[in-house]
Amino acid sequence: MFAATTSSKLVKNTTYKVVIPFYVYAALSFLFATILLFFSTNAFTQHYFHPRTLAITHTMALGWGTMIILGASHQLVPVLIESKLFSNFLAYLSFILAAAGIPLLVYSFFNFQFNLTAQTGAALINAAIVAYLINIAASILKSKTENVHAVFVFTAAVWLLVTTLIGLLLVCNFTDSILPKDSLQYLSLHAHIGIVGWFLLLVIGVGSRLIPMFLISKYDDHRMLWLIYFLINAGLIIFIVAFFLGLPSSVYLLPIAMVLSALFLFGKFCRNAYRQRIRKQVDEQMKMSLLSVAMMLLPIVFLLVLIVLLVFSFANTKLVLAYGFSIFFGWITAIIFGMTFKTLPFIVWNKVYHDKAGLGKTPNPKDLFSTKIFNSMGIAYLTGFVFFAAGILLANTIILQVATILLLITAVLYNWNVLKMLMHKPLIK
Amino acid sequence: MNEVITNNDRFCTVALAALHHVIDPEIGLNIVDLGLIYQIDFDEAAKEVFVSMTLTTQFCPMGDSIRDGATRAMQQAFPEYKIHIDLVFDPPWNSERISEQGRQFLNR
Repeated sequence: MFAATTSSKLVKNTTYKVVIPFYVYAALSFLFATILLFFSTNAFTQHYFHPRTLAITHTMALGWGTMIILGASHQLVPVLIESKLFSNFLAYLSFILAAAGIPLLVYSFFNFQFNLTAQTGAALINAAIVAYLINIAASILKSKTENVHAVFVFTAAVWLLVTTLIGLLLVCNFTDSILPKDSLQYLSLHAHIGIVGWFLLLVIGVGSRLIPMFLISKYDDHRMLWLIYFLINAGLIIFIVAFFLGLPSSVYLLPIAMVLSALFLFGKFCRNAYRQRIRKQVDEQMKMSLLSVAMMLLPIVFLLVLIVLLVFSFANTKLVLAYGFSIFFGWITAIIFGMTFKTLPFIVWNKVYHDKAGLGKTPNPKDLFSTKIFNSMGIAYLTGFVFFAAGILLANTIILQVATILLLITAVLYNWNVLKMLMHKPLIK
Repeated sequence: MNEVITNNDRFCTVALAALHHVIDPEIGLNIVDLGLIYQIDFDEAAKEVFVSMTLTTQFCPMGDSIRDGATRAMQQAFPEYKIHIDLVFDPPWNSERISEQGRQFLNR
């Protein structure tokens, strides 16, 4: 007889069936992006507005970064807001729409054809983001507690929708000239709203909850987090206003300084959480996540140099490429590596061992993947990243080719470990 | 200091031995040494056990598994008893509740 009662004061987890497809799609997108990179090294010695570069950037930004963040946030939002996800159906819908739209868009960029295929792809992606935004907003509205992390996630989702809407307009503008200027002129607006509004805001909102949680640190500072929130959003709004008013390049130093201050504060937040941790051992995945916080500074350095050069009327396409590369293959990729191997083992563990906990010795979530493969992936990744950035700046195709092999190995090792987790069979009956 | 309140020391020892098998999967430490168990009371006449326990954080994504694991472990140790698990967050868990063995484990 199994007679037991339990009080239920717990947050209900989102089912793994919702979350795992996003992770799988992201892993395959990363592999695809590195294969594309391997065959496109020449593109990185030319102008950044190159079909291959655009295809790789959108595979990384949408297929890799956005898909995995969408998936993880369906799992994490209930944890942040202490309430259930509003709708699994909307989560499935956002996956299906984005999964269908991204290849259409990437294919169009690759062939540099902005016809109905590209427009359909962009429209599907927008529909996916609308479904996601409704789901997040309704989940937060249902929740009884207001919290800063949830506000970060919601605002990030709004900025994501702004980014994809601008993207749709840019795609249509190629053929129908619906905007006052040509699409190339709006690229920095589109890219920065996505990078700062979506990726940065979301990473800080979720990271500020997860990093102390995984370190078992009691540190928390909501005032600092609200200040970070204000600095990033105000900086982004000033950037948009300056863009539309056509203000001089030097004005952009103000939003950069605001975002840089926010990054500095987030770095301080992480350092304080690290210092007040109860768990002294810090695993490799957490080290990778903390490294990605430091890696946020590299694109800022490139950007500052770019602005200074622009003030003196020097445009440098190599720096623009290095800037973009350091964001998508640097900061975003590093944080995804760290967080994949912190969150996915839990999702799989819950799926496999939830009904077996307490009945015998179960493996820990970290035992579901190979640390050896993870460490090899880390070495291949960091070496490949440094080589590729150097290859762009030196316009050296041999260095670029070596780097693409290392990044391809990274993607293979990442996929191997993800597959190993997904295929895990219970070790106890 | 990790102290469990109980009305039956003998049964409590058996219960804690069973709960030692329940691990917080993220930390890798059992929930007894982690100090998650607050109180275990037994009603021998009614054949009921009341466990008051907490989690390191209320937002713990593994909370479900830990609570269900504790229920199963108690059910195995006391098959004739009805098990009641109450999750409480007041007082909140703090690191002072980790036992000496737990501290040694975390500082390895």
